[in-house]
Amino acid sequence: MSGLLPRFTGESPFEGLRVAACLHVTPETAVLVRLLRAGGASVALAASNPLSTQDDIAAALAATEGIEVFARAGIDRSGYYRHIAQALGDGVDLVVDDGGDLVNTLHTSAAALLPGVRGGCESTTTGVIRLRRMAADGALAFPMIAANDTPAKRMMDNVCGTGQSVLDGILRATNTLLAGKTVVVAGFGACGAGIAERALGLGAQVIITEVDPVRALDASLRGFRVLPMAAAAPVGDVFISATGSADVIGAAHFDLIRDGAILANAGHFDVEINVKALAELAVDVRHDVRPHVDAYELTDGRRLLLLAEGRVVNLVAAEGHPPEVMDLAFGIVALSLAWLAGNVSKLAADVHPVPADIDAEAATLVLAATGTRIDTLTPAQRDYLASWRQGS
Amino acid sequence: MTAEFQVADLGLASFGRKEIQLAEHEMPGLMTVRAEYGPSQPLKGARITGSLHMTVQTAVLIETLTALGAQVRWASCNIFSTQDHAAAAVAVGPDGTPDDPRGIPVFAWKGETLEEYWQCTDKALTWPGGDGPNMLLDDGGDATLLVHKGAEYEKAGGVPSPSADDPEELVIILDRLRNSLADHPGKWTRAAESIKGVTEETTTGVHRLYEMAKEGSLLFPAINVNDSVTKSKFDNKYGCRHSLIDGINRGTDVLIGGKVAVVCGYGDVGKGCAESLRGQGARVIVTEIDPICALQAAMDGYQVATLEDVVETADIFVTATGNRDIITATQMSRMKHQAIVGNIGHFDNEIDMAGLAKWPGVHRTNIKPQVDEFAFPDGHGVIILSEGRLLNLGNATGHPSFVMSNSFTNQVIAQVELFTKTEEYPIGVYTLPKHLDEKVARLHLDALGVRLTQLTKSQADYIGVPLEGPYKPEHYRY
Repeated sequence: MSGLLPRFTGESPFEGLRVAACLHVTPETAVLVRLLRAGGASVALAASNPLSTQDDIAAALAATEGIEVFARAGIDRSGYYRHIAQALGDGVDLVVDDGGDLVNTLHTSAAALLPGVRGGCESTTTGVIRLRRMAADGALAFPMIAANDTPAKRMMDNVCGTGQSVLDGILRATNTLLAGKTVVVAGFGACGAGIAERALGLGAQVIITEVDPVRALDASLRGFRVLPMAAAAPVGDVFISATGSADVIGAAHFDLIRDGAILANAGHFDVEINVKALAELAVDVRHDVRPHVDAYELTDGRRLLLLAEGRVVNLVAAEGHPPEVMDLAFGIVALSLAWLAGNVSKLAADVHPVPADIDAEAATLVLAATGTRIDTLTPAQRDYLASWRQGS
Repeated sequence: MTAEFQVADLGLASFGRKEIQLAEHEMPGLMTVRAEYGPSQPLKGARITGSLHMTVQTAVLIETLTALGAQVRWASCNIFSTQDHAAAAVAVGPDGTPDDPRGIPVFAWKGETLEEYWQCTDKALTWPGGDGPNMLLDDGGDATLLVHKGAEYEKAGGVPSPSADDPEELVIILDRLRNSLADHPGKWTRAAESIKGVTEETTTGVHRLYEMAKEGSLLFPAINVNDSVTKSKFDNKYGCRHSLIDGINRGTDVLIGGKVAVVCGYGDVGKGCAESLRGQGARVIVTEIDPICALQAAMDGYQVATLEDVVETADIFVTATGNRDIITATQMSRMKHQAIVGNIGHFDNEIDMAGLAKWPGVHRTNIKPQVDEFAFPDGHGVIILSEGRLLNLGNATGHPSFVMSNSFTNQVIAQVELFTKTEEYPIGVYTLPKHLDEKVARLHLDALGVRLTQLTKSQADYIGVPLEGPYKPEHYRY
């Protein structure tokens, strides 16, 4: 993002525009917000998760001219949505969302503001899934760019960022040794694969559960054991959900899971582990046996350790993605938003992919920042790749 | 100089010589030893009998020993492990031609019968003029065993009759010694007396040596090359990591990714095997009897199970224990159709091949050399690699040159130690001193572009080691 700062300052792509962002309030988000501000926008930021706000960051940002912040760690549900409404204020031109709560609010309780909205970016998979459902229903009122899913971002954010920070969250919360343990990872998408590879690297035996046969085959060919959750439940020591789906670890599984097992969710919402069902099965819940660890005691005396109340463990129990990862992700968001601001008239009210040249530009900026040098195609190589006449 | 050798085809010599030249580049330890010790000829007067897989890499070892002044006779230590082009090239020698062979007496070809195998070992131990060898270089201990058994029976005045339960191989050894006692009385006793010592390459042979030393039957000193760090950690772990996969691929060409592979034993060899199978995407399950190795495997992220737990569900089975009766015929009968079964331990008793061959109604189909399917009466079958003998040598070409350079540089240094400092080594089993182990490693760093950091004097004093090493105490485990 530092590489973009001079350009945005010079070109002011957001001059006179108001941007509402609903993002985890972390240092990396602060850099993005300041970058948008440097590009001429006035920015209102709300938190995209009730637990993930770093209050010191929120305070520091709020002190900046042209930036409003509505976020506090540990806020309840109504306060969370009140903050989103405050960020929308009397109207916005562009939105940046993470999970879809901001866009959803705009289409429901704040629908009066819809006509003024030009479009926006969604930065996470869960939000994009919601957007596509809205678009399919004809409900989406403006163009949204799915900034969650570019090749560069999937590599760095989902595989590396989630992979590293989810394990970081589990280790910080529990201090459990993963070597020799059986770690069950539900879902072998980019996040699940990143988590699984890193757990393996720490010496765990890793079991994958999947519903998609292609991903299951990929996991199997990479040497992971693939089992249904019902078969994995009795043998796992640590369970990590990374599916984007709901009720992945539910009542039927809690009966089978061993005493002392750890349950953590890496997916955006707190529905992957059925916390409600767990609470109903429990005869006693001891909160915060360590920070972010709740012990649920079941009728037969087994205790299951739920991390971060079943919410995204990497953000709650650790610090989310490392800055390098978010730097790329937010670089793509910033570039996409600037591109959108200049091309709104050409875009339908639908979900649009990030243009490939924006992805390449973001990757190039990251490479430059890390001092990585790459080759450039020669004209002869370009011709060769473009030609269908040359063969053996 | 010699017309005495037995190889498959001398016409393969020029191909063998080309491979030897490639291997020399990959064996910097041996080549540096040639340059360093060649002028002083420390092995002048040594008559070395070697019993060690007659491969391209072994050819570089043999020619290093001769470059240091030794005379050498050689046999392979496994009926399948000879590379015929390497044997031919060694027989012809660097200066000879197939019509005018000038190499060393080598008795080895791929696919010997057991009778032929022991005949070859005997010939390598039988020097012209009735002398015996004065040094042994052994791998698995067969040359040492023949000398010891021969001397024992000569002393006892006869060879015992085999019992009906004795394995086929023992019967063959006893027959050979019975004839030897009749035709060349006193041969083995004289050989044992002239032998200054043996350098032993592998775990199995070392195990035999320690047993003999314990019961007081060892007739000459031995250097345990196997337990040099630069041998066991490199040859056993990194060598097997390379050649196990190579053997399975050449033998079967099955996709390893996604398969469940069982590695029996998690010693250095088992660790290398498990890592390579995992690296190819297999899910690896380890079996162990030692709680420390079992815990190591678990901490490395492997499932540890008993063979019984997984025998019906796994796809690939590899034995790496150095022990016997690891996979029984009954267990093989319960495996999945076309489960692959192979051994990378030294001897062929880890997998119960005799029991499998005797299984009622079993039908053996040879797919290609060293790959057989044994079909059970119900129609399902298992694929056996190298008839249960070490598959990395039988189905592939064994360890790569660079790994063998580490092992064999230890061998050459051990030969020089025992031959030139015989009086410092009373009968017993020894490992090479650590400074020589470190020297072997040092000889291989340049070729890999490794840049070593130099201790400062104050750093060396701080941890209490000499500036020039050794850097670790004897008990350090690496």
